[in-house]
Parts: sequence; C-alpha cells; structure tokens
Amino acid sequence: MALNSVVLVKQVPDMNAVKIDRASGKPVMGGQNVVSSYDAYAIEEAIKLKEAHGGEVTVISLGAPGAKDVITRALAMGADRGVLVTVPDPNALDTLAVAQVLAKQLQAMTFDLLLAGQGSDDYEDNHVGPQVAELLGLPLVSNVNSVEVAEGGHHLTLQRDTEDGRQILEVDTPVLLTAISGLNEPRYPSLKGIMGAKKKPIEQVAADVEPAADRITWSDPVAPERTVTGTIVQGVPAADAAKQLVGWLKEQKLI
Amino acid sequence: MAEQSGGVLVVGEVDNAGALRPISFEMVGAGRPLADALGQKLAVLLMGSNIGDAARSLGAAGADRLLVADDERLRDLTSEAATAVLTQVIRDVDPAVVLMPGTTAGRDYAPRVAARLGVGLAADCVELAIEDGGLVAVRPILGGRVQTAVRMPGSRPQMATVHPGSFEKATGDRTAPEAEAVPVELHEAELRVRVQETVQGGGGSADLESAEVVIGGGRGLKEPESFGLVEELAAALGGVVGATRAVTDAGWRPHHEQIGQTGRTVTPRLYMAVGVSGAVQHLVGIQGSDYIVAINRDPDAPIFKIASFGIVGDLFEVVPALTAELKAAQG
Ligand SMILES: Cc1cc2nc3c(=O)[nH]c(=O)nc-3n(C[C@H](O)[C@H](O)[C@H](O)COP(=O)(O)OP(=O)(O)OC[C@H]3O[C@@H](n4cnc5c(N)ncnc54)[C@H](O)[C@@H]3O)c2cc1C
Ligand SMILES: Nc1ncnc2c1ncn2[C@@H]1O[C@H](COP(=O)(O)O)[C@@H](O)[C@H]1O
Repeated sequence: MALNSVVLVKQVPDMNAVKIDRASGKPVMGGQNVVSSYDAYAIEEAIKLKEAHGGEVTVISLGAPGAKDVITRALAMGADRGVLVTVPDPNALDTLAVAQVLAKQLQAMTFDLLLAGQGSDDYEDNHVGPQVAELLGLPLVSNVNSVEVAEGGHHLTLQRDTEDGRQILEVDTPVLLTAISGLNEPRYPSLKGIMGAKKKPIEQVAADVEPAADRITWSDPVAPERTVTGTIVQGVPAADAAKQLVGWLKEQKLI
Repeated sequence: MAEQSGGVLVVGEVDNAGALRPISFEMVGAGRPLADALGQKLAVLLMGSNIGDAARSLGAAGADRLLVADDERLRDLTSEAATAVLTQVIRDVDPAVVLMPGTTAGRDYAPRVAARLGVGLAADCVELAIEDGGLVAVRPILGGRVQTAVRMPGSRPQMATVHPGSFEKATGDRTAPEAEAVPVELHEAELRVRVQETVQGGGGSADLESAEVVIGGGRGLKEPESFGLVEELAAALGGVVGATRAVTDAGWRPHHEQIGQTGRTVTPRLYMAVGVSGAVQHLVGIQGSDYIVAINRDPDAPIFKIASFGIVGDLFEVVPALTAELKAAQG
C-alpha cells in the first residue's frame, strides 16, 4: 500500500527578522524567505508516511516567479517533486484566490493525503487549508498532532487538541489535514539531501488569476500603541522582592 | 424562516459537555453594536446536539432572533456538517454581516462557508465596526506585531471570525426570543470525519478564558516537574495555570494550556508570567490582562516592557518566597 501525499507550502519572510519602524509604526521585513513554520510539520509528516508506507511526496507552492527556495528545501528534506505556481504578486491575492489557484492545480493530480499548515506565519488566516478542502470537496481535519495509517488500508486515525481536550478521529483518504507544532520534529536536510534535491524536478506553471479586488481589501499594517511603565524590582533578595510584590498586589486590590 | 432579510448573524458554540463556551457571549457582545449601527436585527445561531437550554440562555443575552440547529450529527461540529448548516442559514436569513467564533471548530467551518459563498472573510478579528454601511474588521498579522483593517465591499455577507477574549461579553438578561428550529439536512459525504472520542483535558485549565488570575509558566521553569511551583502559586492566588508554546511543544504541559497567538487568549485581572521571555506571539494572548506581573532573571526580557510589576531574579528562589508570603498574608 503506497500513500501519495501533496503538501501545500508557503514561502514567507522570516518573522524573527521583522522590525517595526519606530516613526511610522510600519513593519520592515528583513532576512531570508523561509518555509512557513507549520508547513515544515506538514512536509515532515508526508515524508515520514512515505518512509513507512511507500508512495510519493509532491510539494506545491504558489509564489512569485522564481520563488523556489521553499520547494528546494522540501526536496532536500526528502520530498520527490515540486510545483511552483506563479503569480506576479502573491500578496495581492486573498486566501480564496490562493485556494482557487491551488485547487485548480490539484484537480489534475491524484493523491491520498493533502497536507497544509494550520496557518501561515505572516497572514495567519488559517483559511487556505479549509478552502482548498472545500473547493475539492474533501473532508478536513485541522490542528492534527498525530497520524496513524491503519494496517493495509487508506484509513486514518488522527489526533488533535481542541478546547475540550484531545480528540481522536477516524477518516478515509483522500482527506486534507492541517498540521500544527507537536505533530513531529521537522528534520534538517542532510548534505546528501541537499545535493540530491538539485536533481529532483520542479515544474513551474503560470497561474491565470484575477485578484477579486472588491471581495476583500486590507489596509497597510501598523503597530498598535502599547506602553506600560511598571515597577521593576532588581538586585534584592528573593524574600524582599516577594514582600514588595505582595504589598503591591494588596494596593491594587488583587488579593 | 426568512421573515426579514439583512441584519447581523452571530454564531455561538457549546463545549463537549453541552455548556455555552464563554466566547458565545462575546459573539453577542460583538454583534449587538454592529446591528445597532446598521439599525437592523441581531440573530444568534447555535449548532449542536441537545442545546435547547443553552440556546435560551444565549438568546436572553440580547438576541432579536434565536436560531437553533439541534441535531445529534452536529454534536462534534465537524467542518463539513457545520458548513452545510450555516450556509443554508445564511441563504435563508440573508444577513449583511456574519460573525463566527475563532474557536477550533469556527476556524474550520468559517473559511469553507466563505469559499462556498464566494465571499471574503476576515480572520481572528480583535475589533469590529460599521463604517459607510460596511464592516471594518481589525486583525493582527505578522506575529501580532502589527494590525490591519479589513473591508469587504464586494461581499455579501461580510464575514469575520472573532478572536477569543477580544470583546466584552453580553450580560443582558431578557426574555429570549422564541427559538426557531433550523432544519438540518446532511448527506453521507458531509459526515466523513468521525470523532471517536474526546479525552477531557486535565486540570482547571478549562477556565483559562474566564479566570480572574492566570499564572503562565515558560521555559525558564526548566523541566515539567517545576510546574509544581507554579501550581502552588496559582493555588495561593486562586488562579489557574497556563503555559507558553515552548512549554507545550516540549510536552511539559498539554497543548490546550498554551496561551498566545496560536493558543488561547486570556483576559484576567492579573496575569503572572514566570520564566516567560515575552515573545510577541505570547504577548498577543495576554495583552487584555488588567495587570501583568513578570518574574524573570533577564532584565532585558521583553516581558518587562509590558509588565506593571516585575521582579528580576531567579524564579526558583522568588516563586517559593512569594507563595510563602501570600500564604502568610492571607492567614
Ligand atoms: C507561528 C508561531 C506561533 C507562535 N505562537 C505562540 C503562542 O501562541 N504562544 C506562545 O507562548 N508562543 C508562541 N510562539 C513561540 C514564541 O515565539 C516563543 O518561542 C515562546 O513564547 C517562548 O516561550 P518561553 O517564553 O517559555 O521560552 P523562552 O523564550 O526560552 O524564555 C524563557 C525565559 O525564562 C527565563 N529564565 C530562565 N531561567 C530562569 C530562572 N531560573 N529564573 C527566572 N527566569 C528564568 C529566561 O530569561 C527567558 O526569558 C509562536 C511562534 C511562532 C513562529
Ligand atoms: N501561497 C501558498 N502556496 C502554497 N500553500 C499555501 C499558500 N498560502 C497558504 N498556503 C497553505 O495554507 C496554509 C494556511 O495559510 P493561511 O490561510 O494563509 O494561514 C499554509 O500553512 C500553507 O500550507
């Protein structure tokens, strides 16, 4: 029994390198483009399932022309092939447009598992996974933190955490799963993986899509104001610091 | 059912035990001013199984219309079943604005409904207003560092999910409008995901959102066993325990105790951060707290920038001293 997976991977600016310009409150991107954090868990899970059950792992990314870095990274981790669907300005598309482009590409493919990240690092919509599932008529299980494939079949037992605790779910493939931290420990590409990635195919396809300008618009992002100047106790023995804090808690009527 | 079109539709939610989640009241609290600004009615929808009583108490918080989709197959609120029911309600009611809870379930069905209707959706919003007759939804992006205002002029309805802990809970205590039963039609294909079991999360963490005092533990605690210190402190303050993602990812605490951008949002009177650095993704989950107290040995830890009271010191000394001092103070 082989299990073929497709993973949706988004290239994002490194969130750790984002700085806020003090004067304007506007974000300034820096650093490299990276694989959106949760997508790394999705890639890792697909590769682990391939290693255990056989099959192929394809990664798809919608991005600007040439934005292949995240696909190359996934290939170096162990994915088999990549597809870069290009649009002139990915940031001009809303999640539904992104999902429509990805769904159209996926319609021409066969797979058992479709994996996405729960949410992307930059926009954090948590939309594209469910929307692709909707457009392809697939069942969806989000926030997945454990995947088990039933012996000899395309039947999955999944676990996820919800507000109520741990949920155990059953579903047959094909299905779309969205990955979250805790699912696995994404591997670092090995030197052999990095070399091997160069020989793996990356197909580039130009998407034909019009941004639906009126459906949704968003303003330039700015930092919200928030400054608190608090009392800081430093360089005193723990017992004294604790006393001061208890005094303060009383003053604020918190105890 | 469609006696009047337009208005605002908000969706509430019950937990696994059938009790209303606190965010249900926030949904009414968020929707009411929008309905008033539009001069239209506020409809509340509750989906689930055996939810008659829960629906009535939510309706009494200030709904003009109360819609109830009560069906055994909606017990787990799987995305496809909820999508089918909500889409039908939207087609019948024709609301101008739809607000859904930013819960695990809401984040699953809201994008599907938006895709099915071909409309825009603003995710995880922290502020909502009506401007020029349309919805303006403010949401954090880029790790919570910045915010953007989302508008959906060409969409009907205009839809948003609501970030838990961001809106005042409606506290109205009126007579609930008469419940209108929503017909639930589901096909086999909409029931493909089967929830076998829900293992209840441990501890008092179920009340994180409504707790008056929350103690958040971070990686500074070094090992899961040290959470005993945090638990004792929480007991002395009558609070509950939460954690950073570094801690839940390491498996020291269950994932549902995670506070922050990808976890839960708390709005207590007092939030005490113990061995927490104060990463932006954590801060967005605690910034609604009235007072923030930080205990950290690094004077440059970002948590001190938003702390009302901070102690720079070793938590393994400060926390036991604090617990002892609190016990003494309270007799
Ligand atoms: C997409 C994304 C989403 C995320 N979502 C969340 C989220 O929802 N919630 C969340 O919390 N994080 C989230 N994170 C992770 C976040 O960026 C931080 O990595 C995390 O919050 C750090 O946790 P921490 O403060 O426990 O650990 P650390 O950053 O390691 O901080 C530990 C602190 O403990 C202090 N310390 C160590 N020893 C002692 C001692 N003996 N006494 C006193 N102090 C001590 C240190 O000085 C340090 O400040 C997210 C990250 C990403 C990329
Ligand atoms: N441009 C893209 N290309 C490929 N996958 C994407 C893209 N945008 C979003 N996704 C997938 O959808 C997930 C959720 O994204 P979002 O809805 O933006 O939070 C991501 O983690 C990816 O798996």
